Amino acid sequence: MKGAAALLAALRELGVDTVFGYPGGAIMPVYDALLDSGIRHVLVRHEQAAAFAADGYARVSGRPGVCIATSGPGATNLITGIANAYLDSVPLIAITGQVATPLMGTDAFQEVDIFGMTLPVVKHSYIVRHIEDIPRIVHEAWKIASSGRPGPVLIDLPKNIAAGEAHGITRLIEPQPPDRQPDAIFISRAAALIAAAERPVIYAGGGIGIARAIKAFREFVAATGIPVVSTLKGLGAVPTDEPLFLGMMGMHGTRASNSAVQESDLLIVVGARFDDRATGKLDGFAPCARVIHLDIDPAEIGKLRRADVALVGDLGALLAALHARPRVGAWRRRCLNLKAQHAWRYDAPGDGIYAPDLLRRLAVAADGELTLTCDVGQHQMWVAQHCLIRSPERHLSSGGLGAMGYGLPAAIGAHYADPTRPAVSVSGDGSIMINIQELATLRRYGLPVKILLIDNQSLGMVRQWQELFFERRFSEVDLFDNPDFAEVARSFGVDALTIDTRGQIDEAIDALLNHPGALLVHCRIDPAANVWPLVPPGHTNATMLEGAMK
Amino acid sequence: MKRTIELRLTRAEGAIVRTLGLIERRGFAVTAISTRSDASSETLLLRLEVVSADRSFDVLVRQILRLFDVRAVLLMESQQGDARAAC
Repeated sequence: MKGAAALLAALRELGVDTVFGYPGGAIMPVYDALLDSGIRHVLVRHEQAAAFAADGYARVSGRPGVCIATSGPGATNLITGIANAYLDSVPLIAITGQVATPLMGTDAFQEVDIFGMTLPVVKHSYIVRHIEDIPRIVHEAWKIASSGRPGPVLIDLPKNIAAGEAHGITRLIEPQPPDRQPDAIFISRAAALIAAAERPVIYAGGGIGIARAIKAFREFVAATGIPVVSTLKGLGAVPTDEPLFLGMMGMHGTRASNSAVQESDLLIVVGARFDDRATGKLDGFAPCARVIHLDIDPAEIGKLRRADVALVGDLGALLAALHARPRVGAWRRRCLNLKAQHAWRYDAPGDGIYAPDLLRRLAVAADGELTLTCDVGQHQMWVAQHCLIRSPERHLSSGGLGAMGYGLPAAIGAHYADPTRPAVSVSGDGSIMINIQELATLRRYGLPVKILLIDNQSLGMVRQWQELFFERRFSEVDLFDNPDFAEVARSFGVDALTIDTRGQIDEAIDALLNHPGALLVHCRIDPAANVWPLVPPGHTNATMLEGAMK
Repeated sequence: MKRTIELRLTRAEGAIVRTLGLIERRGFAVTAISTRSDASSETLLLRLEVVSADRSFDVLVRQILRLFDVRAVLLMESQQGDARAAC
């Protein structure tokens, strides 16, 4: 068996049926072997999209996504996607071709040190030096990518190793580590803190979805009756229409969630890492709160905020072991009053399209049964603020890296992971251009992915910051010269329609939910629309700016 | 603050540079290194002097321990040498 066939056979053993990639010189032995492998290969049109699609596949399926690229530029084009998976703790296997081992280190054609370039953004990485090691490395990579705190693993495969014949295959079968039982002493300390708290808040992070601990988390919330706030990636840990859910916290969080956190005397932090977008100015964050921090990753404990009690391990097991019934009726009423007092309003003046209202109505019309993928910018925050999200794997957003161009390829990956659930990519006129070539992938495979393109003819979030914090000195944010996006979509063979008035929203939502194939809905909005509220940089979450609806 | 960290690494491609890179990226300066192999040559023993003005060495140790090739980390309590095993 050749090395390339051994690689694919190992992936098949692990249950891989779909990979995303783009061929080239050094990876050709793998592409040759793919023809006989039984693995479906999805040809994207840029390697970055392969990594993002594999990321989307992984977030929806809960299993590692696999992306493939050739050496040199193919490999470097993967890096943004690998970094995205690293920062959002997504299990990913990235396979790169490499020049033959005798040429490595000679500056050969299409040779780059992708192993060295990706060291800071992978959980682990390999250069395959011996054909016989391939199955062991693939199995090991899979285990590393998907265990503990998930993340990306790179396998760099020199061409002569991929094309060479294996003589005897080694395989390391490692014993499974014993399940780590929650530490009873720390559990009881945490329970005591909860029982004594008067103003507790549950701070839900992306780790809940990654750990597939949704059921245990919701049972914990129901049992304790403690109000819940979430990070961007924690959205859906409880359905966003759950009464106890106060909204997203942080820079573009709700007033209710930020106020509750600032007033709280106990934060129960579940699978979150005190990201600066969530905490605002850290030394003024939840100033009166003690902290119980639950996480699979011990390195997150105490990294940015000291934990009074740290519970390290599987979130599902920890939450199931943590029993407490605090008396928080008055506090709960206070939080729900805050929520009602600062409820979203959608009565924007004029007859133009108010993007938050469009997004809210779309998600409600689908009863939260969409997979929503986002690009990065204002639209991303509007989705997080206004859309009904029933579970984290139905809301895919580039949280840590903030990578524009994520949404469309992630929707492609999401579709392959669960073809039964409609995938809608919400994008902006800046973001869509980063990976617009993936319209060709929709066309090639007949994918019924929908795109809702919210067009404000600018790099809206940057423009908003220049308006607010750079004295309206607008620099390189005006996209007045955008192409006609509907015509662009049609030129790729993707249906499209354009809307720009409020009266067209119902028609657009109907099309997004019922059009039989791929569709791009180009939605023009007011270029001056901003995302509110906003915690200004350098301030605590107690400082929230508000502005007019447009 | 300067601390001494001793590490035992699997002898694998990239193990040293991965570990040193992590330490520097996390805001620490490596001011001295010594290394040797164990008798079987399957593991590398590193002794590092590491400096940081404000970062937590305990958190750094936990971050190092996440690396797949790291087998053990010892954070010396002080320059005089009281040691505390991290795994």
